[in-house]
Amino acid sequence: MTPAPEHDSYFIERGPEPGGTGAVGRAFGETLRGLKTTFGRLVEGPTTVQYPEEKIPVYPRFRGRHRLHRFEDTGLEKCVGCSLCAAACPADCIRVVAAENTPDHRVSGGERYAAVYEINMSRCIFCGYCELACPFDAITMGNDFELADYTRSDLIFTKEMLLAEPLERTPLRAEGE
Amino acid sequence: MPRPQRSPITFTIDGRDVVAPEGTMLADAAKVGDVEIPVFCYEPKLGAPVGACRMCLVEVEGIPKLQTACSTPVKDGMVVNTTAPKVKAAQESVLEFLLVNHPLDCPVCDKGGECPLQDISYGWGRGLSRVAEPKRHFTKPLELSPLIAIDRERCILCYRCVRFSQEVAEDHQLVFLERGADTYVGTFDSHPYVAPFSGNIIELCPVGALTSRPYRFRARPWDIEGGGTVCTLCPGQCNVTHTVRDERVLRTLSRENDAVDDGWLCDKGRFSYQAATAPERLQQPLVRDADGNLQPASWDDALDRAASILRASGERTAAIAGGRTLNEEGYLLQRLLRDQLSSPHLESRIAPGPSRELLAALHAPALQATVPDLEFAHHVLLLDIEPQEAAPILELRLRKGARRLGTKLSVAGPRPSALDPRAQHVLRYAPGGNEGFLKALAAALEGGDVSGPAAAAGIDAAAVSGLADTLKAAGEDRVILYSDALLSGPGADESARALLRIAAALSLSGEDGAGSGGAGLLGIPATTNGRGLREAGVLPDAGPGLRAVAHPGRDLPGIAEGLAGSELDALIALGVDPIADLQGRAAWRQALGASHLIAVSSFLTEGVAGYAAVVFPQEAPAEQEGTLTHPDGRVQRARPAVRRPDGIRSGWWVLAQLAARLGDRTTLHTAGMAFAELTAEVPFLAGLTLDEIGGKGVRWPTLAEAATWPKGTTDLEPQTDATVVPPANGALRLARQSSPWRIPEVAASKALRFLVPSADARLAPADAERLGITEGSPVALSVDGTEISATARLDSRIPAGTVVAQAGVPGGGADELGGAAAGGIGLVEVRSA
Amino acid sequence: MTASATPHLLLDGIDEPGLNTLPVYARRGGYEVMKDALRRPQDGIVEELKQSGLRGRGGAGFPLGMKASFIPAGDIDKYLVCNADESEPGTFKDREIMQKCPHRLIEGMIIAAYTVGANKAFIFIRGEYMHQADVLEAAVEEAKAAGYLGNDILGSGFNLDLWVHRGAGAYICGEETGLLDSLEGKRGNPRLKPPFPANQGLYQGPTLINNVETLSTIPVILGMGGEEYAKLGVERSSGTKLISVSGHVQRPGNYEIELGMKARDIIEGLAGGTTPGHRVKFWFPGGSSSPVLLEDDLDLTYDFDTMAKAGSMLGSGAIIVCDDTTSPVDVALKLATFYRHESCGKCTPCREGTNWTLRMLERVEAGLATPMDLDRIESVQNQIMGNCLCVLGDAMAMPVSSLVKKFRGEFEEHLEKKRASEDFMLGFDPAAGGHVDTPIRVVA
Repeated sequence: MTPAPEHDSYFIERGPEPGGTGAVGRAFGETLRGLKTTFGRLVEGPTTVQYPEEKIPVYPRFRGRHRLHRFEDTGLEKCVGCSLCAAACPADCIRVVAAENTPDHRVSGGERYAAVYEINMSRCIFCGYCELACPFDAITMGNDFELADYTRSDLIFTKEMLLAEPLERTPLRAEGE
Repeated sequence: MPRPQRSPITFTIDGRDVVAPEGTMLADAAKVGDVEIPVFCYEPKLGAPVGACRMCLVEVEGIPKLQTACSTPVKDGMVVNTTAPKVKAAQESVLEFLLVNHPLDCPVCDKGGECPLQDISYGWGRGLSRVAEPKRHFTKPLELSPLIAIDRERCILCYRCVRFSQEVAEDHQLVFLERGADTYVGTFDSHPYVAPFSGNIIELCPVGALTSRPYRFRARPWDIEGGGTVCTLCPGQCNVTHTVRDERVLRTLSRENDAVDDGWLCDKGRFSYQAATAPERLQQPLVRDADGNLQPASWDDALDRAASILRASGERTAAIAGGRTLNEEGYLLQRLLRDQLSSPHLESRIAPGPSRELLAALHAPALQATVPDLEFAHHVLLLDIEPQEAAPILELRLRKGARRLGTKLSVAGPRPSALDPRAQHVLRYAPGGNEGFLKALAAALEGGDVSGPAAAAGIDAAAVSGLADTLKAAGEDRVILYSDALLSGPGADESARALLRIAAALSLSGEDGAGSGGAGLLGIPATTNGRGLREAGVLPDAGPGLRAVAHPGRDLPGIAEGLAGSELDALIALGVDPIADLQGRAAWRQALGASHLIAVSSFLTEGVAGYAAVVFPQEAPAEQEGTLTHPDGRVQRARPAVRRPDGIRSGWWVLAQLAARLGDRTTLHTAGMAFAELTAEVPFLAGLTLDEIGGKGVRWPTLAEAATWPKGTTDLEPQTDATVVPPANGALRLARQSSPWRIPEVAASKALRFLVPSADARLAPADAERLGITEGSPVALSVDGTEISATARLDSRIPAGTVVAQAGVPGGGADELGGAAAGGIGLVEVRSA
Repeated sequence: MTASATPHLLLDGIDEPGLNTLPVYARRGGYEVMKDALRRPQDGIVEELKQSGLRGRGGAGFPLGMKASFIPAGDIDKYLVCNADESEPGTFKDREIMQKCPHRLIEGMIIAAYTVGANKAFIFIRGEYMHQADVLEAAVEEAKAAGYLGNDILGSGFNLDLWVHRGAGAYICGEETGLLDSLEGKRGNPRLKPPFPANQGLYQGPTLINNVETLSTIPVILGMGGEEYAKLGVERSSGTKLISVSGHVQRPGNYEIELGMKARDIIEGLAGGTTPGHRVKFWFPGGSSSPVLLEDDLDLTYDFDTMAKAGSMLGSGAIIVCDDTTSPVDVALKLATFYRHESCGKCTPCREGTNWTLRMLERVEAGLATPMDLDRIESVQNQIMGNCLCVLGDAMAMPVSSLVKKFRGEFEEHLEKKRASEDFMLGFDPAAGGHVDTPIRVVA
């Protein structure tokens, strides 16, 4: 209904005027139409999911709580503490403090490792940029989305928490599901 | 020597007409036209370009081959193309070659994120690699020195570090070893690269081959902030930027200021930031309890205790300011003493110096030389100064002038200097012969009797005359660089008169009244802000602005004597430990034992730990806020780069609180207010604001207000004959060597600790043979019954009859020898232990 | 070592016993030209050298007279340096001159020094020429004793000191500025030009630096007159040239030829050609750093301009002949190994380019490469050429590039054969970085 720039006046399409005999029929008919949907769904049975007892499986690429990884063969951490995830993070929720591996104390595969690796989950927007930025595939987005807690400070996840194998509480949608 | 004047010319780059000074290298001139030419090996600070990396190849019209922009000076009408396909191909080729052997460990590399090789690869590279062959491998990382890690795989052999070592610091330690693709940077026989300026190569390295070990893996460029301030560890006052992460200084970089530091830093300034977080640093006030133990106390208790001590001592109080004390603190200290306590006993020097009138004459704006003058002078005369100890950064400036512009140097003093090999004349007089030497040189320049004073100083008269002839024949820009030590001791006034006569004979006074004529005197005080404190009035005989005071106070030996006796009761030591920092330890121990000491200090040094009644913790250099004055008159701002730890307060606040408790009604809330009060009192700083000082400082001698500088003495006639240096008669004359590494900040920095000097005694091989001493053997040095032990070092550069002993070593060293009252000439017995 | 129809100037009586001593050299008229020259005005000599059209015999072919005229006049410390660091593979002409007729070189140097006003002269001889250095040193002593060197030479008021300096065995010190750095006691690395040695050379003073053959030719030119000398040879390539012929020929050795001679006459005539039954496959006209020429190019005339036009260069005049038994892959690998070893490492394209090329050729040799790698080798050679600080990088890139280009078929054939052979990849560890073992050192 945009006015044509060259014309001063334009037409407006209006609905039927209220009142009159047609109005009663219209109101009744429209109500029946709505009820048809209601009763139609009624016979389909309930679709409510009884969360948290029951969970909807997430897609494999669902971006949930992060995970840090280790090399399977050596058990060394993949993260070298390069801070690129922190640089990429738009919410500024990652803090990395690196330190140097020594022959006696070898933590990661490279020269350096992350002595401190913290993600503040209350700030994280789960955009997945950290995963993209990581040159060693050390951090990936997991599937877990149940992160609620009672204090904010508990939402700062440390390296140990992120490295730990998460509890399998989020079902994953199978192939083609 | 006249500064090079370059007339502007117009040249064309990428179709744009650009006006640039003639003769500038194309790589620099292009920036004027907003064109960036990538470079790796080019760094103007390192001198002539080498053209090794070939990154800067550009097309110059009329020349068939591509030219290196780093070594092509611009000429009028030159047409340059940096985007031609040929140039583009060359840039991509060079980058591809550089990356053939460069490891792809950027995520691990400390340089990642601030790496020129990364930036240039992104900006000018082809973006893909064709290398299928294995890369070159070295063991990595290795310690090039305890301060520097070297990763040879990352090295792109750009020559920067090697050129720094060979041509700037001239320590000739770093070299290229092997040839071709096997070349690597190293030192002879793999010795660690330990040199006073070694840290600069970290900043020069365009890749992550040379990285700082203390900063290793501490932070990435996006984790950090920079805090610009001034290094307050020596009178050189280099401009620095502290790298800060989580309210901690993690690294110190240079902040280029041509007029002060030329973009370099010494290792002391670069690595001693660690002292701020050292466990031994004081973090709260301490008060001595009834049992004589220092106990932590609240600020109120400590201030009350200090105030009650001062209230009791009143005019029997003395104060010494030193070390890193800022102008504002000095000013408030003298106000506290003079106004609240009516005491005139103030000092900011480490030994008695010339009187007020002579200081006024020596520091007159017209006679003032600047730091750049050292570079452009025809001749620089160094008097009793070893730049490496007094203000290390000046050594690089002197070397630069001598190497690139042919500035001539002459060195005179009782000790050998690192600049001796560069000097035209090297004169060695006997320790304590300052006065005699200066009088001899003055006489030689004026045509008087040289032999008398020369003999008194124990130096050959012909050598002095030779120096005088050279100075007279040198061009008009002559600069005399001297240390506080030259004009200290009992003969200070006579020495100062002689120095002023030398300056007059050489007409060093600038015609324009601002001393910018390229000639003049440059005196380097013994402490960081020595000059600023003098001008703020922390002198026994001068108030703020060096104005005369009605009742002059005691000098340092006088204060020590007064404290030891009953004339003085209390001493405020602001950033100075009388025992560790001043001469005559025995006298000061006695003095402090008999009086109350209120100390402001970062560390529990001997005097503070043993004698202080109240100790206030001092701010670290990166936390200080205020102004300080460079030896050439440049007022600079120290700005806090990090927050003070909770238990620490500013020096000016402590002094203001003490003053308030003693009845001062003025209130100070910020350091800026203290500065405003200072400028109101000091006429030649009148109207100066912190904004004007800004990041690079302002030289007040160039301001109109400099005309209010007090007139100095004009009577320069010698009043006594030169003090005769006693003949050694089997003993040796003692000269003190004060290592730049002697300060507590070095000992408290984990990285620098290995440099803390050891007790060495250097003597001439002839003396050693006579005394039966061999290299490295233990010796004992004794004066009047005080004895210290040291390790003998034979040094042929030291004249016979002199022993040079290291001061400021743990346990005392040379400082233990000689009384405070004696000040100057000491004969020492040396024997094999 | 004689040839017909060519005027013998430098090799005149070269095999006479005792020519390396002063009496014999003097009997043959030695030092007469020098005595005469010391009485002439300097600019006259420069003019005569210019007239002769003599081009430097070291490899670059820069006219001597022009170079000498670049040396600024005036009373400053000037130097004369003789480049006797003859290290180019295939070149051995200077060795013969220094060994058999050192006095001609000394005579030439005295005249050159007098001409440009240099009072200090150096002969930088490669370290491996021990015998030749001994001969030279003996000759210098003789000349000193005779008063030809030292102060006030023969009463002319001209002083000249001459030193023989032995190099430590680096090819790069044959590059003039690298030579000067080495002479100053530094690492022998080429310098950035400009400034050229004529303005800022040895110890920052103006320096005339020339090859042994060039300096030895000076007495010859002044003896016969510049104009007369210019009549020899062809236009822009005047005079005679010593050439060293080596490789698959029957009579390898040094020959003096008039420039402009047909290459076929040199290789097949003077040097006797290849062994019967074999043909010339390719030949280097000017030392190992010149692009190779093929059999068809044998009919070209041998002079500076024709060689340049054919895409190669006359260089130091060292002809290396390779017959049809030679594998171009082997030759390329040998060349790359040599130049990688001799690269000084100062500039990026040469340091990394020679190294990379060698690594790639090793893969080719082992049969691990594909024809695409041959493209890569060629492309890398193009990336080296023209981008280096001195000519060492080009010296490898040019012949390697020409070999790959001209014998591409044989390279591919080699790859196929290697891959089909039984010992393919036997003992080759690609991760080990080929056979060049890079040093790994640990700093204490």
